Amino acid sequence: MRISPDTMIFFQWGPVSLNATILFTWGVMALMVLGSYLVTRRLSAETRLSRWQNFIEILVNGMRHEIGEISGQVPGRYLPFVGTLFLFIAVSNLLSIVPGYHPPTGSLSTTGALAICVFVAIPLYGITQQGFTSYFKQYIKPSVFMLPFNIMGELSRTLALAVRLFGNVMSGTMIAAILLAIAPLIFPLIMQALGLLIGLIQAYIFAILAMVYITAATRAHRREGQANQQREKGAWKDG
Amino acid sequence: MLIDWFTVTAQVINFLVLVYLLKRFLYGPIIRAMDQREKRIALRLEEGQKKKDEAQQEMALYQKKNRDLDNQREEKLSRIKEEAEARRKEFINEARNEVDAIRARWHEAIQREKAAFLQNLRQRAGKQTCAIARRVLKDLANVDLERHIIRVFIERLRNLDDQERTALKESIRKSGRKINLRSAFEIPQDMAREIAAVLQNQGTDPVDLQLEISSDLICGIELKVHGRKIAWSLEDYVDTLEEAVVEALEGKRIESTD
Repeated sequence: MRISPDTMIFFQWGPVSLNATILFTWGVMALMVLGSYLVTRRLSAETRLSRWQNFIEILVNGMRHEIGEISGQVPGRYLPFVGTLFLFIAVSNLLSIVPGYHPPTGSLSTTGALAICVFVAIPLYGITQQGFTSYFKQYIKPSVFMLPFNIMGELSRTLALAVRLFGNVMSGTMIAAILLAIAPLIFPLIMQALGLLIGLIQAYIFAILAMVYITAATRAHRREGQANQQREKGAWKDG
Repeated sequence: MLIDWFTVTAQVINFLVLVYLLKRFLYGPIIRAMDQREKRIALRLEEGQKKKDEAQQEMALYQKKNRDLDNQREEKLSRIKEEAEARRKEFINEARNEVDAIRARWHEAIQREKAAFLQNLRQRAGKQTCAIARRVLKDLANVDLERHIIRVFIERLRNLDDQERTALKESIRKSGRKINLRSAFEIPQDMAREIAAVLQNQGTDPVDLQLEISSDLICGIELKVHGRKIAWSLEDYVDTLEEAVVEALEGKRIESTD
């Protein structure tokens, strides 16, 4: 039994291998991009609009709303990253009902790659928002001795992100496969449905956690900024 | 090994490409479309509000115009009513005046007719009375009416009281002794001489008695001298009769109007 679709190799050329994870990722990407293109090539700015446009608008608007709620900031700059995380994971997981399909999120390589993206995105957003020094000062707060623990915290939460998603999706696929072997009639169907639900929930959790980490990195600066402003106001009053 | 680092790298690249593509084909166009729609809706709402305001202004304007028109109509109506009332009163007054004039004319005509009738009656009644009296006297006492009238007149002349006699004397003197004696009938010569004698017996000088027959007098005789008059006639009797007739006519009219 394959635990990861990475092991399903179609083409090998030295270190370069075309495995099921990459292939299905391309499939998912192609599907998403093509679907987006088909829907958005004839967009209507009027009040009458197509069902697909309506669906996509609801989706995008929902994501913007969610990001805005969590970050308390304008969602525009976070939407492409966090939204794509959610959509990619969700579509990858939902397609698992297609026979012969292996969700790329069931590979630790994919979830690790996504976690690495989040791991890199957090300081990028933080530095863009706060500036280089200010962002890295966070790691030596409250004292410089906390630096190793902060770094460990960053690494461990990235690992947790990757493993959580991988574990959930992989276990879902595994359970379905095992149940199919034991009780092949109705029961796997229920588990499959449950797997879809879990897949959506995991997509949501991954995107939300990424947003929360990014917000934590960008908010520290805002809090400090607010404190500085209050101090200035107090001094002005005293003066 | 669960992690294949080539796959990880490939997936990172794949993910970044996907982020770019979705930004290009999904988020950008969709958000632009939503923003445009929002703007259009806001614009339409604004336009709608503007039009609504305009419509309300127009409505207020037309309501005001309607009210003004109503007021003008009311004013005109009341003016026309007043004019009509004035014209009605004018017509009524004209009609009333006309009726009054017609009535006055009619009344005048009636009065004229009445006067003519009474005059006629007076003359006829006088003549008839005279004729009857003449005949009755002739038949019953073989007395001539005219002579008897002259006798009564002579008696009256004789029996004048002192004051009247003095006044008569004075009048005769002033008139140059010309005395006009009118009568409805011819006075015989002897009677005329007797009258002249009676007048002389009253203490005056001889008089010049001028005799005149007048149809105005109803069976009577009248002596006129310098504004003074001594007479006897059926006039008083006829007057009484006329009064009775007038009274009878009036009574009948009152009854008829009742």
